[in-house]
Amino acid sequence: MDPEQINEFVVGYLKKKGFSGAAKDLEDYHHQNNGSSLSSIDYHNDPELTKLIRSFSQQEDDPTRYRESYSKLRSWAYNSLDLYKHELLRVMYPVFIHCYMDLVGKGHTQEARAFFNSFRKDHEMVHLRDLQKLEGVLSPSHLEEMEFARSLRKSKVNIKICQYSYDLLLQYLHRTESTLMLGIINEHINFQVYSGQPTSSSDDIEAVTIVGSFQDTANHINQKEIQWGLLEDSLEDRLEKTGGLLSDSEKGQGESKDGDADDSKKRSTEIGKQGSSIKKLKKDKAGNATAKVARLETSTVPPAPRVKPELALPVMSTDVEQSILEDLRNRVQLSSVAMPSVSFYTFINTHNGLNCASISHDGSLVAGGFSDSSIKVWDMAKIGQSGSGALQGENDTNDSIGGPNGRRNYTLLLGHSGPVYSATFSPPGDFVLSSSADTTIRLWSTKLNANLVCYKGHNYPVWDVQFSPFGHYFASCSHDRTARIWSMDQIQPLRIMAGHLSDVDCVQWHPNCNYIATGSSDKTVRLWDVQTGECVRIFIGHRSMVLSLAMSPDGRYMASGDEDGTIMMWDLSTARCITPLMGHNSCVWSLCYSGEGSLLASGSADCTVKLWDVTSSTKSTKAEEKNGNSNRLRSLRTFPTKSTPVHALRFSRRNLLFAAGALSKPAS
Amino acid sequence: MVTKESIEVIAQSIGLSTLSPDVSAALAPDVEYRVREVMQEAIKCMRHARRTTLMAHDVDSALHFRNLEPTSGSKSMRFKRAPENRELYFFDDKDVELKNVIEAPLPNAPPDASITSHWLTIDGIQPSIPQNSPLQAVSDLKRSEYKDDVLAARQVLSKELQNYFDKVTEWALTQSGSSLFRQALSSLEIDPGLHPLVPFFTSFIAEEIVKNMDNYPVLLALMRLAKSLLHNPQVHIEPYLNQLMPSIITCLIAKRLGRRLSDNHWDLRNFTASTLASTCKRFGHVYHNLLPRVTRSLLHTFLDPTKSLPQHYGAIQGMVALGLNMVRFLVLPNLGPYLLLLLPEMVPEKQKEEAKRHGAWLVYGALMVAAGRCLYERLKTSETLLSPPTSSVWKINGKLTNARQSKRKASSDNLTHQPPLKKIAGGGIIPMSSTQMQVNGTTTIPQQSLIGRGIALRTSAPLDTTVDNYLFPLFEYFGESMLMFTPKHELSFFL
Repeated sequence: MDPEQINEFVVGYLKKKGFSGAAKDLEDYHHQNNGSSLSSIDYHNDPELTKLIRSFSQQEDDPTRYRESYSKLRSWAYNSLDLYKHELLRVMYPVFIHCYMDLVGKGHTQEARAFFNSFRKDHEMVHLRDLQKLEGVLSPSHLEEMEFARSLRKSKVNIKICQYSYDLLLQYLHRTESTLMLGIINEHINFQVYSGQPTSSSDDIEAVTIVGSFQDTANHINQKEIQWGLLEDSLEDRLEKTGGLLSDSEKGQGESKDGDADDSKKRSTEIGKQGSSIKKLKKDKAGNATAKVARLETSTVPPAPRVKPELALPVMSTDVEQSILEDLRNRVQLSSVAMPSVSFYTFINTHNGLNCASISHDGSLVAGGFSDSSIKVWDMAKIGQSGSGALQGENDTNDSIGGPNGRRNYTLLLGHSGPVYSATFSPPGDFVLSSSADTTIRLWSTKLNANLVCYKGHNYPVWDVQFSPFGHYFASCSHDRTARIWSMDQIQPLRIMAGHLSDVDCVQWHPNCNYIATGSSDKTVRLWDVQTGECVRIFIGHRSMVLSLAMSPDGRYMASGDEDGTIMMWDLSTARCITPLMGHNSCVWSLCYSGEGSLLASGSADCTVKLWDVTSSTKSTKAEEKNGNSNRLRSLRTFPTKSTPVHALRFSRRNLLFAAGALSKPAS
Repeated sequence: MVTKESIEVIAQSIGLSTLSPDVSAALAPDVEYRVREVMQEAIKCMRHARRTTLMAHDVDSALHFRNLEPTSGSKSMRFKRAPENRELYFFDDKDVELKNVIEAPLPNAPPDASITSHWLTIDGIQPSIPQNSPLQAVSDLKRSEYKDDVLAARQVLSKELQNYFDKVTEWALTQSGSSLFRQALSSLEIDPGLHPLVPFFTSFIAEEIVKNMDNYPVLLALMRLAKSLLHNPQVHIEPYLNQLMPSIITCLIAKRLGRRLSDNHWDLRNFTASTLASTCKRFGHVYHNLLPRVTRSLLHTFLDPTKSLPQHYGAIQGMVALGLNMVRFLVLPNLGPYLLLLLPEMVPEKQKEEAKRHGAWLVYGALMVAAGRCLYERLKTSETLLSPPTSSVWKINGKLTNARQSKRKASSDNLTHQPPLKKIAGGGIIPMSSTQMQVNGTTTIPQQSLIGRGIALRTSAPLDTTVDNYLFPLFEYFGESMLMFTPKHELSFFL
């Protein structure tokens, strides 16, 4: 390299950095000392150094450079070896969004837009939502203002990448001297290099969600211990105690099915109670290979140790308890071969006004929350008695209701001043809670047909409210990014759960009442300890807003459904996704486990109710680890409705499935 | 999405005439960002209202969250696309006379929300009730019909079947274009329990065809009905074929089908021909006299010069559909004399009536296609004998050459160029031993124009000589258009 050239670079660099005076001095100096070489360092022959120096003097904020280097990197990644391609392509997305944000941040709006549009297609499939958000960011101030962008800028993305892919990438970046890309990658990506073969592209869900350093906190939080066991002295237990006696007395009615169920339950609890039985199993394993398989099945699902309630739970009246016990005794055993019956409640003439529907635990009451702030409660038992008029079809019911008398067959609850987004029945069905866009939650009595309490606390619309499995307590979640725990007798919330990065869209209680789960627009599901108000689990994996949650009756698993129609089964203790259940092609509005937890029902905007066999999916996880991903056959049945999106689902205690939805005219 | 220009337009619309370009440039991206922000909230509202379509009040409530004034009057406004400009939308804002609004009678109050219940499934099976989706209901219907199959032995029509028959026949006669009828046809094609209805359907078709000879839509519907019935693998239609075939053949070669000129009876004939062919193919082996009988009646029509052109057309199409052998043995031998009759019909001077001339052209086209396909098949079968290098070698001189190894020299009239041919062929070509590509001499002369006009091509295997005699003059009859039917590979011979 000539000394003149070097001088040029130095001057260029100085000018760029704004040291125009120094640059001028330097130039003058060189003019004076023309000809005399002052280089003592041998950087003439060091190509690396030359390149480095050259890169300094280049126009750094030249917007076209982003486009060029990105497209080079992109074409390189696409042409790389198939085995490593998906790992390298994973790097492209963070690079892409950061290039875009750099361009925006430097004020090159037009270039940023052009850059975004030309490469947007690559990432649309996985990151559509994020792209839609980012697309609107057009000025540096937006970057500051928008939380999503800010968090992206602040945090580093973790990318798991195998050693070889990592080397490939570094080699490429050095070879092509794409310092710009190297800078972005260094600044925003945190590589977790592992040795060995690259993982297959499909099963690695974590790889595609950009949560930045958030992942670390999530991992940290997920270390915490949780106790997902059922409560001591639960009704199920009581059933087992009394079940033997009663089933003896009722043998005449031929309830062999239930008897069997009790037996199996007893067996499983016995295994759990006797700590020694596990040891026994281990001995058996050594001795008896054939029995191992059968044993494994039971031992993979050991009932968790019973836990004490952390909340003071209400006392249940003996009448109620008796009726529940009666229901549990008469419960139909469901499995992949024994399908439930589904009773469908269709709302008609709602004129797109039905926001939510809720079904009481025994299926006799149905509440609908409407966008005109009203709540309507139908007593299905009464409708059934008043003749089958309701079943005759739309016209007949229209006549009977819309007559001049204005006689209604429902109870109208008025009080809210905004669209009602959620309603929930207390377990005995004597109270209804409703949440609304007017930021309040209201408690209604179905006996008195009147508003009892108005709970104010949220600052923004309350998206969801859920009674706890034992009543008295309830949880709500809101656009203000918090979830709150309340008890019926206090108008202030007992706990406020804050931590979600976006709206909290749905909430669900754990069967033992010690935890609640919340699903959010930030695409995560969190589990919170009710007593401490701390977040104890973060479930990452959804690719869009989480709309529905359900907890398995044994308290071990959770299902969550999102906007895209994906349902994920989570293991609460490990915070890992057991399996995504694919099948719906639109929002999953509702999820519900059957009474004994063997089936999961899902209701979706694609006008279907699907049943999923969740016993096979949980049991086969061990086998899966060995055999690889072999099972996609969990969808048992699909029941299409006649153009009725399914808003709500509820398994009654006897395992009859109730579903509700508003008839919508098919788009024509 | 929001451009500087739109900001300027908006500014003008609210009375700001002087807006510096900096302002609009700065505002545009910000406006866009705010709009997106509001839309994001609106989408949340939509999701929580359990909808998948965004509505005006979702946007209103999103604005409300942001403590913004909701826009008014945005309810159920529909943008219309400007007819000329695809990018331009506008409100269809009609002027309404206030008096009319006031005097108009009050509309009925919308019906109140209500709820109905039904069984979506019972123990995992969806009952076939009107409340459930029709797809499932159909399969349930099938199930019920399947049960009725047992009753078929006693030849008792169940009420359902009777109903089915009544409905299908009614649709066939009245609304053959409807989707209902189309569904009925597909059900006829696959439903297993229809056997008891077959005699009724066949007699229905026979009767109605006679009655409706001048009603084209009904005829077409009946033919589709017949086809669906014939295709149903579960139905034993054999005993009723002798009733059904005459009806089908009638539809193929009847003198008049349909009353109006616009009725496209040619299509009907084509359709019927394919039905006929598939029937013969399926039941030909069961009734060995089926095919001869059909062909006899077709040939009879074809050879009768007193029959009208549409009838001839039907007959030709029928024979074509029945297979190329039929064409080779029955049509081609009679092609020459027939064309003598046909050609005058095609020229405007001789045949003044345009409809008839059109008909003649269609017949001509059908014949041409038939002959061409025969030719094509023949050449295909001999294809293996023409080894690939041949074509390239022929082009060495850029001249037209032709291979010939004539065992039967009688048919060839010049042999003069045989020695040079062999020279050209040189090393690699022509394992053409038993089959002879014999091309009439004209093309083989060098410097001939590229496409020989009067090429008469002849492929022959010893056995088929008689038949191939009829292939021989095809080029005379149809001229160059026959070249379309020569497979590409063989065509290279002529180039």
